[in-house]
Amino acid sequence: MRESELLILGGGPAGMAAAIEAAKAGARVTMLDEDARPGGQIYRQFNAGFRVVDADVLGHDYERGQELLKEFATVAGQVEYLDEALVWGIAPENELDFLRQGESRSLRYRQLIIAVGAYDRPVPFPGWTLPGVFTAGGAQRLIKTQRVLPGERMLLAGTGPLQLAVANQIVEAGGTVAAIVEAGNIDTWMSLARGAWGQWALIADAWRYWSGIRKAGIPLWREHILVEVRGDGRVEEAVVARVDQEWRPVPGTARTLLVDTVCVGYGFVPSVELTRLGGCEHRYDPLLGGWLPVRGEQMETTTPNLYVAGDCGGVAGSFVAIEEGRIAGLAAARALGHLSADEARRRMEPSRERLAGLLRLRQALDEVSRPRPGLYELAKDDTIICRCEEITLGEIKAAMAEDIRDLNELKRMTRMGMGSCQGRMCGPAVQEIVARAKGIPPAEIAPLTPRPPIRPVPMTALAGHTELR
Amino acid sequence: MENRRVAKGVVRGGQFEIEVDGRKVLAHEGETIGSALVAAGVRTFRQTPKQHHPRGMYCGIGLCYECAMIVNGVPNTRACQTLATPGCRVETQEGLGRWEGEQ
Repeated sequence: MRESELLILGGGPAGMAAAIEAAKAGARVTMLDEDARPGGQIYRQFNAGFRVVDADVLGHDYERGQELLKEFATVAGQVEYLDEALVWGIAPENELDFLRQGESRSLRYRQLIIAVGAYDRPVPFPGWTLPGVFTAGGAQRLIKTQRVLPGERMLLAGTGPLQLAVANQIVEAGGTVAAIVEAGNIDTWMSLARGAWGQWALIADAWRYWSGIRKAGIPLWREHILVEVRGDGRVEEAVVARVDQEWRPVPGTARTLLVDTVCVGYGFVPSVELTRLGGCEHRYDPLLGGWLPVRGEQMETTTPNLYVAGDCGGVAGSFVAIEEGRIAGLAAARALGHLSADEARRRMEPSRERLAGLLRLRQALDEVSRPRPGLYELAKDDTIICRCEEITLGEIKAAMAEDIRDLNELKRMTRMGMGSCQGRMCGPAVQEIVARAKGIPPAEIAPLTPRPPIRPVPMTALAGHTELR
Repeated sequence: MENRRVAKGVVRGGQFEIEVDGRKVLAHEGETIGSALVAAGVRTFRQTPKQHHPRGMYCGIGLCYECAMIVNGVPNTRACQTLATPGCRVETQEGLGRWEGEQ
């Protein structure tokens, strides 16, 4: 079986930065990426066919992405990039399984860096399964690199800076935003501004979004929440209401908006299926998105030879992801003997300084995107919680009456989390719902246990599974 | 529904047709099937197995499988991750879908 010296999962900012530092130190890198080209969600490149004629229109993230991609290209000779690779399992003895081009393969590694990012926090509310409800991240991908508007008349609902960015992108693209609904209050916005002090690039971004939204005259309703979406087979209207500090709707404040599209963004959830499969110890931190792997100073996990960098280790955005990636890449290169301990530490120093500068912003963002209790009380008994298996809140409540101890018992009783997404869309909400019902902290309820294959793999591919040569 | 393609900033690749439930839908090189459908105003990508509810694109990054469609006879193909190609056949997926030729 092929053994990779350093295997990196994910071609986003963290993965690319890790590959750059490790390769510069002399390591040979294999990178498995789900996408066709490196970049990840934030620095996603256009597919072949599109030609960029005016980069200014595409925003600062596009420029920053180009810089990192250029740096990544300088080490291309030492990086084997395997595109459209879905990792579906991690086995003992430094072995990993993936699906690519319809075939399933195993690969061995000496050091592993997991940098698979995060995804939009799924929040169940009445009508959230109607066609026309998108995650903010999904909508942004459509607009940014497919140059398609998700709808005609759009409502953005949630919390944090992403929805400002998306609203501004829609406006710049010539689309119509009916309103932006922000669940947070003025205090959190102020703390965000204070936390960003010194991060001039990010302040400039925020200012640009803000002025674009103001100029377009889009209403921004603070301390409001999306309560429900209605329509006959598709989004036709959205109900929003004022909320209290705990994000619970204030009676008598509901109003209805006629929209055909709703983009929902309540922050992000780290993708931890692979680190959990890899046996890493995890902890629950609501400020960083939920369950995340426990890490040391050099991004090492509790599993030997396994490092984690970027949002899958705690949601903090691309600037933090790049620095964590560099540190993880250097640590892995050190473990492989390409660098002395002193030299690795010396090379990590600039990244550590930048991370310290980003810490305040990170803390402010964490506070803004921290879900308040009212968020998980929006679903009604007939609201679907598990999209794949069509399990309602009522069915989950009925199962909870049996005094379940963890989400795995709930899964066995209801089929919740057994579908194609493998609990990614329902798990984070069910964690909170069960904790509240039992009156204990979410950290005390064991999450769904990921089991290989963690992604749907065709039986034909499994039947022909072989080693990568 | 009007075309929702944004012209600013980019030039699109060559234009061609794909077939969606027997109907011609316009696509460009570099677009995913999901994008071409959203641009054409198509909302429903599949019907759920139990309640036969319509579902459309949701996460948009290949994780939720809500955009699962039958593409060239292969069910459970994620429209948001699959590039449109000239003449490709796309069908709204009913339930778990079925393979071409399957009864």
